[in-house]
Parts: sequence; C-alpha cells; structure tokens
Amino acid sequence: MTVPDAQQGAALFQTHCTYCHGAHGQGGRGPDLTTGQYKHGGSDASLYDTIRNGVRGTEMPAVLATDDEVRKMVAFVKTLGALPPGEKPPGDADAGKLIFEGKGACRTCHAIGRDGGSLGPDLSDVGRRRDIQYLEESLLKPEADVPIRYRSIQVITKSGQTIAGIRLNEDDVSVQLRDEQDNLRSFLKENLREIRHDKPSLMPAYGARLSKKEIDDVVSYLSSLRGVQ
Amino acid sequence: MRIAAIAVAVVWTLHGQSLPVTYDRLLNADKEPGNWLMYSHTYSGWRYSALDRITTQNVKNLGVKWLFQGRSQEKFETTPLVVDGIMYLTRPENDVFALDAETGRVMWTYSYKNPQRTYNCCGNVNRGLGVLGNSLFMNTLDMHLIAIDAKSGRELWKTEMQDYTASGGYAATGAPLVVKDKVIVGMAGGEHPISGFLDAYDAATGKRLWRFNTIPQPGEANFGTWAGDSWKTGGVATWNTGSYDPESNTVYWGTSNPWPDYNGDYRAGDNLYSCSALALDPDSGKLKWHYQFTPHDTHDWDASQIPILLDAPFRDKPRKLIAWAARNGFYYLLDRNSGEFLLAKSFVRQTWVRGFDDKGRPQVIPGNDPTPEGNDQIFPGVDGAANWMSPSYSPLTKLLYVFARDERRLFTKNTVRHAAEENNAVGGRGAGAGIFGAGGNGGGRGRARFAPEESWGKVVAIDPLSGNIQWEHKVITPPWGGVMSTAGGLVFGGTQEGVVFALDARTGERLWYFLGNDRIYATPISYLANGKQYVSLAVGDVLVTWGL
Repeated sequence: MTVPDAQQGAALFQTHCTYCHGAHGQGGRGPDLTTGQYKHGGSDASLYDTIRNGVRGTEMPAVLATDDEVRKMVAFVKTLGALPPGEKPPGDADAGKLIFEGKGACRTCHAIGRDGGSLGPDLSDVGRRRDIQYLEESLLKPEADVPIRYRSIQVITKSGQTIAGIRLNEDDVSVQLRDEQDNLRSFLKENLREIRHDKPSLMPAYGARLSKKEIDDVVSYLSSLRGVQ
Repeated sequence: MRIAAIAVAVVWTLHGQSLPVTYDRLLNADKEPGNWLMYSHTYSGWRYSALDRITTQNVKNLGVKWLFQGRSQEKFETTPLVVDGIMYLTRPENDVFALDAETGRVMWTYSYKNPQRTYNCCGNVNRGLGVLGNSLFMNTLDMHLIAIDAKSGRELWKTEMQDYTASGGYAATGAPLVVKDKVIVGMAGGEHPISGFLDAYDAATGKRLWRFNTIPQPGEANFGTWAGDSWKTGGVATWNTGSYDPESNTVYWGTSNPWPDYNGDYRAGDNLYSCSALALDPDSGKLKWHYQFTPHDTHDWDASQIPILLDAPFRDKPRKLIAWAARNGFYYLLDRNSGEFLLAKSFVRQTWVRGFDDKGRPQVIPGNDPTPEGNDQIFPGVDGAANWMSPSYSPLTKLLYVFARDERRLFTKNTVRHAAEENNAVGGRGAGAGIFGAGGNGGGRGRARFAPEESWGKVVAIDPLSGNIQWEHKVITPPWGGVMSTAGGLVFGGTQEGVVFALDARTGERLWYFLGNDRIYATPISYLANGKQYVSLAVGDVLVTWGL
C-alpha cells in the first residue's frame, strides 16, 4: 500500500462508505472505523473481504467497485484507525505512569490491559487513537467529549436517594447503570423521581489537581499506550 | 361493535370460508375484523382493527401466547396477513411461512433464494404480502414478483420486474397492493442513479399491464423539472405500499427522494415527482394528480408513508381527504379527488420551513442545506420525522396516530461529482448517495454532539382536520416501528429497545407493556383465531403473539 493508494482510497471512501460510516469514518448507521478495532478483522485481507463481499446478516453491503479500488479503500480505512506519525509528546512518559497509578488515581476508573476500573474508557491503546491535544483536553476538560457509553447519569429515587454512575442501558421502563462504587444497578422508572444527565462526565478536571508538568507527563504516558498491535 | 365482530367470526367459521380471498372481500376488509387481508388492513390505509375484546380495562392481562422464531439477523419488518385462522408472513430475506394463527405451528414454507449480492440500501428486508383468490404475492430483493399458492406454498409464477443490477441497483421490499385483478408493486433504489416506477401485473399470469414512470419522460407532462440530463438518473423510488379509493377508482402512492440524495447541484429544479403523493388510475396507470411535499429535496425526506384516506367535513363542507404525516416533519391534509392543499402543520421540531403558500409550496428557510463539512442544525434528521412505518387512524377517536422521530442529525453534502457527468459512470460506479453522520454513538475523534436525551421518539395523536396534536407519548429513542389502533380503545406499537406498548387511544397513557429487549422494525396487527383476539408484532427476529 502506498500513500497515493490511500489518497485515492479516500475519494472512493467518500463515494461508497460515508453514507453509513460518516464523512470521517466516525460511524453513523455503520460502525466507527477510527478505533483501529474491526469486528470482522483488521488485516488487509479481512478488510478487503468485508468491503468486497459485505457482511452477511448486516446492513454492510458488498461494495460496487473494482478489486483495485477495494484495495485502495482498504489502504485508506487503515489510516483512519492510526494517527499520523510525528507528534512529539510534551513530557516524561515514565513520570506520567507513576502519576497515573498514584497521585492521579486514574486506574480507579480506567483499565490498561487487564488492570483497572471500568467507569471510564479502556485506555490500553488510547495513544494510537487519540492525539496529544485531545489527551490534554480530556485531562483538563473531561466533559468536552464524553463517549456516549461513558456519559454519567444520576437517578433520584422516590425516597430521595441519589445514585450516580454511567448508563449501561435504558428503555422506557427501566435504566441500568454502573454506580460510582462499580456496582451494577437497575431501577424501574416508576420508582424514580428524576433522571438527570446534566453532568456528562464522572471524571474530575485535573487542572486543579496536577501541575502543568504533571499533566504533560500523563499525556506522554497515555500517548505511549499503543495496545496490542 | 363487539356483537358485530363475533357475528362476523361466527359466519366465517360456520361457512368454513377461508380461501379464496375475492376482490369483493378486499373491498370489504373492514367487515372481516378477524382477518388481516392486506398490509394496512383496509384500502383506506388506517391499520385500524375493529376487534374490541382486548380493551383498556383488560389489556393489563395480555400475555404471550406463542412465538415464531425467525432465525434471521435481518431486520424483521413484516406485516403478516391472516385469512381465517391461517397466518401468512414473509421472513427475511424472501421466505414465506404459513402458520396456524392460534398456535404458531408452521404449515408450509416457501423459500426464495436471492443472489449473493443485491442492491437494497438499508437491509435485506421485506414488509409483507398481498393476497387475491388463492394466491399470495411477494416482491423480492432481486426485483421479481412471485405468486405463491396459499394452500400449498407452491410457486405459481415469477416475473422479473427489472434487471436488479442496472444503474447501480434496484430492489423491491414493500408489500404489494392488490386492486381488482392487478398486483401493484413498487421498487427501491433511490440511493442509486436509477429511474423509478410503479408497476401493475396481472394477478393470474404475472404479465405486466402498465408502468408509471415516477420521473416524467420527454414528451410527458411535467418533463423538464430536472436540470440537464439529471432526470435520467434521478432515483424516485416507490418502495412502500399505497392505498386505494374504490369510489373514485384511485390508487394513492408516495415516492422517494431524488438522487443524489444530499447534493442537488446537478439536478436544479423541483425534480418531479420526487417526494410526492401520486394519485393514479389503477386500470391504466395514468396520473390523476400529484402533490410534492418537498420540492428539490436534499435531505432524503422521501414521501414513502402510507396514505390515510378519510371522509369528513372540512371547513363546513364534506370532503374526501387524504391525511399524510410526512418525513419532512409536517402533517398534511389534501383533497384526495383534486390534490388540493388544505393544511400543513409540523408534528416534530423542524428548522426548514417558514410557511406555505396557497398551493402548499413550502417557503424554505435558508441555511438548512447539507454542506461539505456537515450541517448539524437541521431538524428533522436524515431518517425523517416519519418514515415507512405505518401510522393508524381510529374512527372511534377520530385521531391519527403517528410514531414520530423527533431528532436532528448531521447532513453532509456529497462532494463527489454527479455520476451522470462522468464517463460510463452510470453503471453502478459513483453510486454514492450522500453522506450523513448519525448521532447516538458519538463523534469518534470529533465531538459527541447528540446525546440520547437530545433526540427521542413519540407517538403523537393528531386531529387530522386541524393538524393539532391532542397528546404525545414520548419514548427514549426515535422509532422504526409503526402503530395500530383498535376498537378496544388502544394503540399498539414497539420501540427500539423492544418495549411493546398498549396506549390508551384517548389519552396516550401507557396501560400495558412487554419487554422484548430487541429492536422493533415492524407494525402490529390484530386478528381472531378460534374466536380469540390476538396481537402480533415482530420483535428482533421473533414474531410475538399476545392474547388474553
């Protein structure tokens, strides 16, 4: 695969894929293609097969294109899941790791590999998916962009008890959440006085807790997390 | 009403009458409330069941009686037919089952195999069957119309409507409408550079009797509302089902969007007859009138809704009316004999219309077009305020029930050149219809703009003569299922989370629910089997049937 291949693939992607996967591959009717993780395989051969033949039993159709065009789309799709090279992290990743695991108490909510909590997103490969600016903003203004799955919710029971957590599921009858103590909870709406969504993130803003250098170090550590390639 | 329902049931049972389903029975389908003889129950499009054994008082006791395991991962959009205790349904892609309607036990199966690759935009779906005589009619994803013997499941004839691979791809997903001795069938493909039509076939032989081109051809009236040659690839499909007025002998059918969906640069003009209600003579296929809800659409707000036919006094004068809650966010009332515009009123949040002129042409607010970088300030969203999911009209409450989608979405203008301008492009290449990004799953590397609490679904009860909303029942997610009203004073439907509900038709209060826990893409029916009333609705890949 060459860069021109990917560039031509970008134009083909606009034609064939954006209807469902969004203008930037961010997802829509179809899955988000920017995470670097693909349900039906991320190898060139798997992506080729998915685009060429579609996915039976889903809305993903076989794409009407030549074999060469499909290869170019594969090249482009692979660029969606990887950040461009050359961004230089601002701090010391080793120092950042110590803060992440110690003073920052980040593992309470975030997992790296098999260790850590599940109130926030898994960060095992966050460095591959998010750029420096995004990581820094996430620490300073965590509410700027909260993935839907990690939006916080507060339920207030008819007896006046308030439980905060992240929403795991909801329908018109009930709501399920993971509370701040990592318990799985379910509430019938008929037993609730109110459901609030006005504080979208459970994560504290770290600008007041860490120095500028410490933030840079944590960003560097996060940027070094590339997951299993 | 209850006595009438019982009497009808007894008559059918005593006479052992089942097949054939004559045209006369279709004309009088309202007098057979125990059966479900066509997609919308009656030609008027009401999807109203005159059965009243399940009531606002006893619906709390409704329980599951049987399940039909669809064993398919496709969206299960079917509306079953019921003929005297036998249920006929399509299961994706194009399989047909005959079941005992009291137990769900399968009596025969017809299996149709589509090619590996078909060209439907939005799932390998089918919405149902038509019936006449002893024959069932189904259209297929590869553009065939098939007649099946309702007693044996044997194929009687098969007609190719169109080369399904042409022009980027055609498909057929709706339920056929039987009128007299004809089977009227629409087609899908408006996401490709196709040219739409509505067909009528001889129910006995499968021979095509007429074709109405939904884009006027050279020499026809209203030719010239498309810039250049864009009419040749303008889309305008007919992918849902129509309604029929026997008195005036008129079929009413909605049309889809113009192509390319989100980029109107190459198709300046009104783009007739896209996004329109059509009134056609079913004998000849000739157009009587048209009304275009959305001239020069760039939002995929197609008019593929089920037309609702009403007779009522309007402004102190008895009128033959057509009520239409459209995908563009407005409820419309038209005169169904002339197509005259009577009123329009929004039933969801909308940003694109300031008002309407006397002819019903929308006065468009600038700034609502899709842009290359994406415009996320437009209501309704790309899937519209209404879509293919059936509305329902109850003659008891005189209300129109619509399960509406109240949301905004990101509209992005396709930056790809129009395929018609590219050499040899109109063969499927360059078929990209447009671009949209959806809410719900966040914005990837961008911003999660649309939290679930910003968009929702709602059953709205609309007074059809004023457009005023009498009540709303809100649900947390914009729906993909329709509603059915009944003489028991209930409105049934189901949500994207699988919550099947019965609402009080007068107030909207939810009186009963069932937790199906899978997405619902279908609209309920109700029928009698062995004297008992049942309600059926596809939930996930399972057809669930409830009774008392």
